[in-house]
Amino acid sequence: MELVRYINVRTSMLGKLLPLVLPCVVMAACSTARIEDTRQTATGIHAGESVVIIPRSYHLGNETEEKFIKCVASALGRGSSALRVVPTNEFVDALFPLFEPRTQPSDSKELPDLLEWPGVAEMIADKGVRYLIWIDGDTEKVAGGGSMSCAAGPGGGGCFGFAWWQNDSNYEAAVWDLTALESAGTVSADVSGTSYLPALVIPIPLIARTRAKACKRLADQLKTFIVTDEST
Amino acid sequence: MILSTFKAISIPVFLAALGACSSQVTVHDLSIPDPLVEKIPISIAVKFPDVFEHFVHEEQVIDKKKWTLDLGRSNALLFTKLFHAMFNDLTVVDDDVDIRDMPIDALIEPSIDAFEFSVPGQSLTSSFAVWIRYRIKIFDSEGNQFANWPISAYGKSLGTAIGGNEALKRAAVLAMRDAAALIIMRMDKATGISKLSRQPLSSGTSNSEAELAGPVKEEPQITASVDTTDGTG
Repeated sequence: MELVRYINVRTSMLGKLLPLVLPCVVMAACSTARIEDTRQTATGIHAGESVVIIPRSYHLGNETEEKFIKCVASALGRGSSALRVVPTNEFVDALFPLFEPRTQPSDSKELPDLLEWPGVAEMIADKGVRYLIWIDGDTEKVAGGGSMSCAAGPGGGGCFGFAWWQNDSNYEAAVWDLTALESAGTVSADVSGTSYLPALVIPIPLIARTRAKACKRLADQLKTFIVTDEST
Repeated sequence: MILSTFKAISIPVFLAALGACSSQVTVHDLSIPDPLVEKIPISIAVKFPDVFEHFVHEEQVIDKKKWTLDLGRSNALLFTKLFHAMFNDLTVVDDDVDIRDMPIDALIEPSIDAFEFSVPGQSLTSSFAVWIRYRIKIFDSEGNQFANWPISAYGKSLGTAIGGNEALKRAAVLAMRDAAALIIMRMDKATGISKLSRQPLSSGTSNSEAELAGPVKEEPQITASVDTTDGTG
């Protein structure tokens, strides 16, 4: 009898909590993404050719997270239309000192001069690098609010309240063709999402993973951009 | 028994508390890649001052934490590898060696003018940054000063992913790589060292004239551009 009453109480609590929690779960799943590309020249990649991802220099104000660069590199190398990706550090070390934050080219117009530097053309050919992908951008918290308080005592503890914050992940990838020595175009991903943290005794984090989503969408679009030659 | 238990607990707690007030960062294992560079066909000697070979910087920053950056011999190793790649022949000499007795075209004497860093508590960002101002003095085979070139190097690393000490170490390594890149790409243009092919300055050309004719004239431009760039970072 006691057990039935206990289950009834639990069920009624769940029934009250569900309308509160469910919209949050649904809202957390709803982030908005805008992916765009601008093509300047024809692309395409052959077997044995590879790409390399370079974060734009912090001398130019870039704050792109290393984690994001690794995520895009990993996503480009997986799945359908996977590209061969040369690890960034390996490429930067092989071409030392030409891709250091201060010395890296900032415009595709600098490519011809870069390839005239002793050993550069040979090193790039040796690694089979066809495209340089420059990534710029970051994830920022653009808004937030709510409040939450937590307390603990000998009998236990808990939190009560509601907090939310909105993140905006805005990244742009410029693709340079090392064979044609010009810019092939740019791909950008702008993902924005709101995270919620409702707490009724236990805080339930409902996180909008904007950076992870931007990484996946940017990598997918980059694969399409590079592999598909839209000019033909 | 109680005493030994107390000791066993209190010593690690004391050490942990001490560690929370200070951080020690060491950069002893710096390795730079083989640079892509064409050798300048001259023979040089390099003299490292003592402080350059065992560089340690200590600073108590505004959050009251004391930071110690020990660069050890990494500067000497960096410049030795760099000059090996850049010049036909390299000899590392001691302080007391008279270079006029040596078959060299130039003597290079690098030093550190200033070392600064910032941690997130100071910059209110999540970045650690390191600035190193090196000075490179170049002498001809007769011991006359030929050039005096300051280099401002900068490195920055985000602290969130890899922790404070590792981020500061990475920023220091990036600053040293930055200096190496600058030296490889601008040293000859800024100092004209390739002209020192066993040709001592004539007695009619004073040191100040040599500096005005070449390197020192470029010095403010280089410093200005470096400072401007650093400001963006």
